[in-house]
Amino acid sequence: MAILQVENLHKSYGKNEVLRGISFSMEEGEVLSIIGSSGSGKTTTLRCLTQLEHADSGIITVAGKRVFDPVGGMKLTKEEQRFNQLQFGMVFQQFNLFPQYTVLENVTLASKLHAKERGDYKANKKQIISEIEERAYDLLSRVGLSEKTGSYPCQLSGGQQQRVAIARALAMQPKILCFDEPTSALDPELTGEVLKVISSLAEQHTTMIIVTHEMSFARDVSDRILFMEKGQIAGDGTPEYVFGEGATDRMKAFIGAVANG
Amino acid sequence: MFWSVTLDLLKGFGMTLELFALTLLFALPLGLIICFGTMNRLGFTVRGKRICPISSLCKVFVWIIRGTPLMLQLIVIYYGPGLIGIGLLPRLTAVLIAFAINYACYFSEIYRGGIESIPQGQYEAGQVLGMTKSQTFFHVVLLQVIKRIVPPMGNEIITLVKDTSLARVIAVYEIIWTAQSYAKMHGLIWPMFYTGAFYLIFSALLTFLFGRLEKKLSYFKA
Repeated sequence: MAILQVENLHKSYGKNEVLRGISFSMEEGEVLSIIGSSGSGKTTTLRCLTQLEHADSGIITVAGKRVFDPVGGMKLTKEEQRFNQLQFGMVFQQFNLFPQYTVLENVTLASKLHAKERGDYKANKKQIISEIEERAYDLLSRVGLSEKTGSYPCQLSGGQQQRVAIARALAMQPKILCFDEPTSALDPELTGEVLKVISSLAEQHTTMIIVTHEMSFARDVSDRILFMEKGQIAGDGTPEYVFGEGATDRMKAFIGAVANG
Repeated sequence: MFWSVTLDLLKGFGMTLELFALTLLFALPLGLIICFGTMNRLGFTVRGKRICPISSLCKVFVWIIRGTPLMLQLIVIYYGPGLIGIGLLPRLTAVLIAFAINYACYFSEIYRGGIESIPQGQYEAGQVLGMTKSQTFFHVVLLQVIKRIVPPMGNEIITLVKDTSLARVIAVYEIIWTAQSYAKMHGLIWPMFYTGAFYLIFSALLTFLFGRLEKKLSYFKA
C-alpha cells in the first residue's frame, strides 16, 4: 500500500493556475525529489501536502487514510486537521527556528505542548519530559549537533540551523518528511553538511519528499524524481530514467541551464 | 521655604505617579483589545473587496483619538456628559478615561506593528509542528513581539509621564498645578522650574528600567 497518494491536485491564486492536476503516489521508505524551474509549482505542491496551503481540489491519502478532499465534502475538526498535519514533517528554506529558544528547546517545544494534552501528564510528568528530552538529544546527535544543544539559533551557522530544523521535524515522528529547498538559503560551503544529513536519513529509509535545485544531489539520493513544469508533472521515474532516456527536450534544456547556471 | 516647597511638590508628584500608573494599568490591556479589533478579519466580500466592520470601526476610532489633542479629549470627557444632562464625572475618573483611551490607541498601533513584523514562517513552523494557533501565539510569537515593541513602548511611556501634566486643565492637583499655585499665591516662579527635576529623575528611572529590559531580551535575535 502506498504511504502517500495524491490525486489531481489543483490550486489557483486568482487567475493564476499554479497546480494543474498533480497526481503521484509513493511507497514507504522512498525518497522522492521534485525538480523544475521556479514557478513550476514544486513548492506549492509541498505546501498543499503539508496543509500550509489549501488546494482547491484533489485528494490526499496517507497510509490508506484520506486526509484531504474538499470537493468530496470532507470536513475535518481542528483536532483532526492537526493530527493529519503531523503526518508530514516540514523543513523550510528559511529554517524558521524559534529564535528565543535553545536548540534543545526548539526540538522539544511542540512535543512538550502535545504531552500536556495527555491524560496521564500530571501523574508521569517527570518521566514524560525526560523521554522527550532524551529523544531530542538522540536526534540532535544524529544531525551532529550534540555540542550545540544549549545554543541559541543566532549563535549557529545557517547549516547548523537547518540541521536543527531537521531534528525538530523528526521529533514529531512524521510519516513523510518534506524539504522545501533546504539548501537554497545557504552559502555553498554550508550546503554539504545539510545534504549529508539528508543522505544519511535516506540510507535509513526515511520517507522523504525533497524539493530542490541541487541536481546532482537529487540524482544521487533519490529513488524517484518528478520533473514539474507549468503546474504539471512532466517527467516521473528513476533518476537514471528522468535524466537519461526519459528526458524531454524541455527537461534537457532545464538541466543544461542549471548545470551552466 | 525650600523644604516645604519640596514636600508640597512631592505630594503633587504623588498624584502624577498615580495618574501614570493607573493609566498604564488600563491602557496596556485596552490597547491589546483595540489591536485585535483592528486586525480582525471577520467580515464579508463585496465585488472582490473585503469589508471588515470590526476592523474599520477600530481604525476610525484610533484615527479620531490620535487625530485630536489629548487636552481636547480631556475637556470633552469631563464637560461632555454635563451637556447631555448626565452630570459631571469625578475629575480623576474623567482624566483616567481620557488618558487610558488615548494611550491605548497609541499602544494598539505599536502592538500591531510588532505582531505584523513577525515573519509568517514562525506561524507556519508552529502549524506544521501541530501547535494550535494560541499555542503558537503564546509560546512562539509573543516574546518576539515583546522584544520588538520594547523601544517604542519605552518612548510612549516616557511621554505619558509628561502628559499627566495636562490633568491640571480640569483641576486635578498634580505637580504642575501645585507649582502654579505657588506662583499665583506667593509670586514664586522657581517651584515651577523645580518640577523639572522630578520629571527628570522619574524618566531617568524609566529609561534605566527599559534599558535593562532590552538587555534582558538581547540574548536572542528576532
